[in-house]
Amino acid sequence: MGLKEVLKPLGAWRQIARKPHTILVPRTPREAAERYRGFHVNDLEKCIGCGTCAAVCPNEAIDMVPVEGIEPRKGDSGFRPRIDYGRCCWCGLCVDSCPTTSLRMTNEYIWVRETPDDFVYIPGYDIKGFEEKEKGYRKEKDHSFTHYQRVPMRELPPEERVESFAEVVLGYAEEEARREADRCVGCGLCIAGCPDRMHIPDYIRAIASGEYARSVNIMYENNPFAELCGKVCTRRCESYCSLGHEGDPVAIRWLKRFATERFSDLKEVIKVRKAEAKDRSVGIIGAGPGGLTAAYYLALRGYKVTVYEAMPEPGGMTMAGIPKYRFPFPSLKKQVDFILSQGVELKLNYYVDPEKFRELMDRHDAIYIGVGLMKPWTLGVPGEDHPNVIYAIDFLRKVNFNEPVEIGKKVVVIGGGDVAMDAARVSRRLKAEVIVAYRRRKVDMPADHEEIEGAEEEGVEIWEKIIPIRVEDAPEGKVKLVYGKAKMVDQGPGRRPKPVLIEGEEYELVVDRIIVAIGQQADLSFLPEDVAEKIETERGRIKVNHRQMTSYPGIFAGGDVANRVADAISAIADGLRAVKGIELYFQGEVD
Amino acid sequence: MEVLNRLREKFEITGDKVQRDDLALVETTGKDLIPVLVYLKTYEGFKTLVMISCVDWMEKGKFQLSYNLWNPEKKKNIIVKIFLDRENPVFQTIYKIWPQAEVYEREIHEMFGVNFEGNPTQDEELILEDWEEIPPMRRDFNTLRYSMEKFGEREPKSGIIIRKQISEQYDEWRRK
Amino acid sequence: MSKEEVRLFIGPQHPGVTGNMSVEVLLRGDTITWARTHIGYLHRGFEKLMERKIFIKSFPLVCRICVPEPDTNEENFARGLEELAGIEIPERAKWIRTLVLELSRLQMFIMWYGGIAGSMGLSTPVQWGIGDRDYILDLFEELTGGRIYHIYIMPGGVRKDLPEGFEERVLKVMDMVERRLPEYDEIIMENAVVQKRLKGLAKIPKEWVDEMGLTGPVARACGFPYDVRKDHPYEAYPHLDFDVITEDGCDAWSMLLVRRREIDLSIDLIRQIIEKMPRGEFLAPLPNVLYWKIPPGETYVKSESTRGEYGFYVVTDGSDKPRRVHVNGPSFVHGITLLERLLVGQNIADVAPIMVSLQTCPPEMER
Repeated sequence: MGLKEVLKPLGAWRQIARKPHTILVPRTPREAAERYRGFHVNDLEKCIGCGTCAAVCPNEAIDMVPVEGIEPRKGDSGFRPRIDYGRCCWCGLCVDSCPTTSLRMTNEYIWVRETPDDFVYIPGYDIKGFEEKEKGYRKEKDHSFTHYQRVPMRELPPEERVESFAEVVLGYAEEEARREADRCVGCGLCIAGCPDRMHIPDYIRAIASGEYARSVNIMYENNPFAELCGKVCTRRCESYCSLGHEGDPVAIRWLKRFATERFSDLKEVIKVRKAEAKDRSVGIIGAGPGGLTAAYYLALRGYKVTVYEAMPEPGGMTMAGIPKYRFPFPSLKKQVDFILSQGVELKLNYYVDPEKFRELMDRHDAIYIGVGLMKPWTLGVPGEDHPNVIYAIDFLRKVNFNEPVEIGKKVVVIGGGDVAMDAARVSRRLKAEVIVAYRRRKVDMPADHEEIEGAEEEGVEIWEKIIPIRVEDAPEGKVKLVYGKAKMVDQGPGRRPKPVLIEGEEYELVVDRIIVAIGQQADLSFLPEDVAEKIETERGRIKVNHRQMTSYPGIFAGGDVANRVADAISAIADGLRAVKGIELYFQGEVD
Repeated sequence: MEVLNRLREKFEITGDKVQRDDLALVETTGKDLIPVLVYLKTYEGFKTLVMISCVDWMEKGKFQLSYNLWNPEKKKNIIVKIFLDRENPVFQTIYKIWPQAEVYEREIHEMFGVNFEGNPTQDEELILEDWEEIPPMRRDFNTLRYSMEKFGEREPKSGIIIRKQISEQYDEWRRK
Repeated sequence: MSKEEVRLFIGPQHPGVTGNMSVEVLLRGDTITWARTHIGYLHRGFEKLMERKIFIKSFPLVCRICVPEPDTNEENFARGLEELAGIEIPERAKWIRTLVLELSRLQMFIMWYGGIAGSMGLSTPVQWGIGDRDYILDLFEELTGGRIYHIYIMPGGVRKDLPEGFEERVLKVMDMVERRLPEYDEIIMENAVVQKRLKGLAKIPKEWVDEMGLTGPVARACGFPYDVRKDHPYEAYPHLDFDVITEDGCDAWSMLLVRRREIDLSIDLIRQIIEKMPRGEFLAPLPNVLYWKIPPGETYVKSESTRGEYGFYVVTDGSDKPRRVHVNGPSFVHGITLLERLLVGQNIADVAPIMVSLQTCPPEMER
């Protein structure tokens, strides 16, 4: 140590000639980095108020609050996140977990106000001036906590499918199901889409954690046909899934199917709480899903229930209408048997006519009508009474009940709904060449898109914009469909375009059978005249109040005969609602 | 790890697991713990005490004490653990084996209420000051309630909707 | 020398004390005869809070245990959870994590290098240290979106990939730091004041190292080659080429030398990482973090922070929250057991340099 060590530090004076490191903020603005985590902005249009940001926020800085001008609707809770910057720690977990990617951060970090209340606001709603900033922390869809990819469902290959009536969908393996169920963020927006209001996030979470019995029990709280819905539900819930905005919605239907299929004996799984027996009885006409649902919950509440069914098997349309490759018979039997084991009496081959209906009115304290729609709509064209013109609903019933049906080598199915697809795919399995003729475009078809894809994979041809004109006889036991083409005429915004026949052109198609599948209507001829007079109808359907009661006190109705949607889950929902209504009716509350 | 075999021969080992190539977990009884620690220090080269930790297994009525040792030559960690009765958590101090144990024990005494007999400084306050509640790291100490009582409710209060309520409120709308 | 003893509290608010802690000393004249560390001025109950939070929510919290060097916490906790949950992370994620850790060590050392001078009243290097560290914070801002709390390392990997051209900018900053270092050396290492005061200060008996569990630069200054990066190679460290730095002086001057050489080592390691980093995925798929449950188990994970061995003892019980997280920083031993013994016999003016040399960090002592 010497003089050197004393003088060396003086080298620091060199700094005096250098430029300083510091800048004068805010006179010299400094823009933060591209992915800086600054103040939030939220795209209110894209946001659906699912609350995932609030759930993941480690500091409870995010509250979901109602916002003026945004009404709740299906798939949108109407709430929007409000952020308290006194609690926010700028971690960006909310951004990373936002299913719709509506929430992001800007790189704005300076914002000065006098009142602390200004730092509690709803991004996107309270305009703060940095909404337009493009830079800032954003979610990378492929590298985030949200799993947008659905676990693919395994299916039989199309060549194998058309060989038999074996179930097309193979179902998830346990690991796949748990992985798929784990994608659910638990927002519950799907519940609004379900007519039956099933507790979807709860049972999905139970599947994800491997508690399958609990999951099935949750389902049975308001749906005794969980397995049916797991296979053939129209799954409107999935179209409101928060993950569906940027990726695939959670496969709610397949998960329900997975959980229910694990148990072959429902009696061992489902814990029922039965109320003590009451001396009121209810007669239910029609053993479809709606009628049996009502029967199940009425029986659990202690009422005597008798179900009258005209067909030799219970199940209604699910027995007679849904092809077995979608919904095998043993599955139906398992569910119906469980319902019957709760003390429900079932009378098969019991066709209710006006006289018997009067008997039932005497025998029971209340009646539930769940007869469904069994009378097909006709084409309304000349020559329709040709013996080779058959109706899809009769055709499917005969196939399901193993009655002999002859459809020949080539058929045309007229219609574009699920029944049309079923008829087409069943015909393929009977080795016929199939054409589906629909009067609008393929995109307008009301059938489930998976059904349409499935039909096409199996070799069904789909012809668009076909309008039948008349049916004529053809040689060799065939039938000729004379048809015209349609053009789509715009009906203004918000309404679907209408097909209009192009005049002067006629085409011919010779086939073995014409299968008509353009819908069904209610057949209410079983009602005695004086009762029928008192029951209001609307467009051929029975009018009911919010408790499913018709305008005739004590007579309830539900299912396809009473609602416009006409699917299994709506029928189940109607049945459940009717149970509440019947109970209130017994307690003397009419409304 | 071979040391586990030797431990099993000599002491009452109620459970062990090799968590990683360089980390073993050993469970023993309160009676054998100090002999095990001394043996490991003297004969097996586990010269260093890395840390002492306490885990509250409230449901089982137990406190778990974990002694984490380090062998600087063989580069291995071993965690020796014992279970104490949660109602009357008493154990002996090991500060004469490793001096830093004194502070670790003092902290556990303060945070969990475990008594280390023979520790000269354990009653001195380490972190807390004038603490009157149950020891704060016990599972049954309710942080939220404490913070409510001490600091009041969070602001702003009005219109707070937490996640659980979303579906409830949403449900209300649906019923309309 | 006076016979009367004076009781004096140094801290908790004192420029020479490393954070909010205080040392109570008994003085006879200028000489300390007894010392006791008092902590508890910033207890934030991290460990308790983590027991009440689902795993993912702990990440914005866990980094806050140490302000200047948060990444060690994130990386440790993430690695512990990955081990317990059995998650294998992509190779690139390991390299990015190592890069973040080394950058974090480097900026901490630079700040410390200025800080040790500050503890002896030389305030120029303190400002230099903080100023030059900011260039590394700029890199962090670009990479992670935050300057101080990065919240970047998550279970499964890291949150984002390196931005375009990031490697070149890192190398540029490294060159800048390397150019600056001789100027630091000139006013710190070659400064008569520093040499006079640190040489022979805080002489640690060698037998204390194993007995007390001293780690990091303190142990290495006593000639023990203890470095978690070598002893328990984690992340990408097994693929990096480096030697453990040791000095043999056992005093504050040796600790300074170790840390000065650590700066060079960190720069070297960062260059190696940038050169060898593989391409590929950087985040392994996690289960749904909102409902993530980890099977029962316990583990102790550790890494080398600037202060020494930094460990996380994580116990899970199969639920979606940890049963216990014990954060064990080196300062718990360095700042209490060692400091209390080391101060006895020292001059009152040397308390600050000794504490800075040991890098006592109160947040580690009271989590």
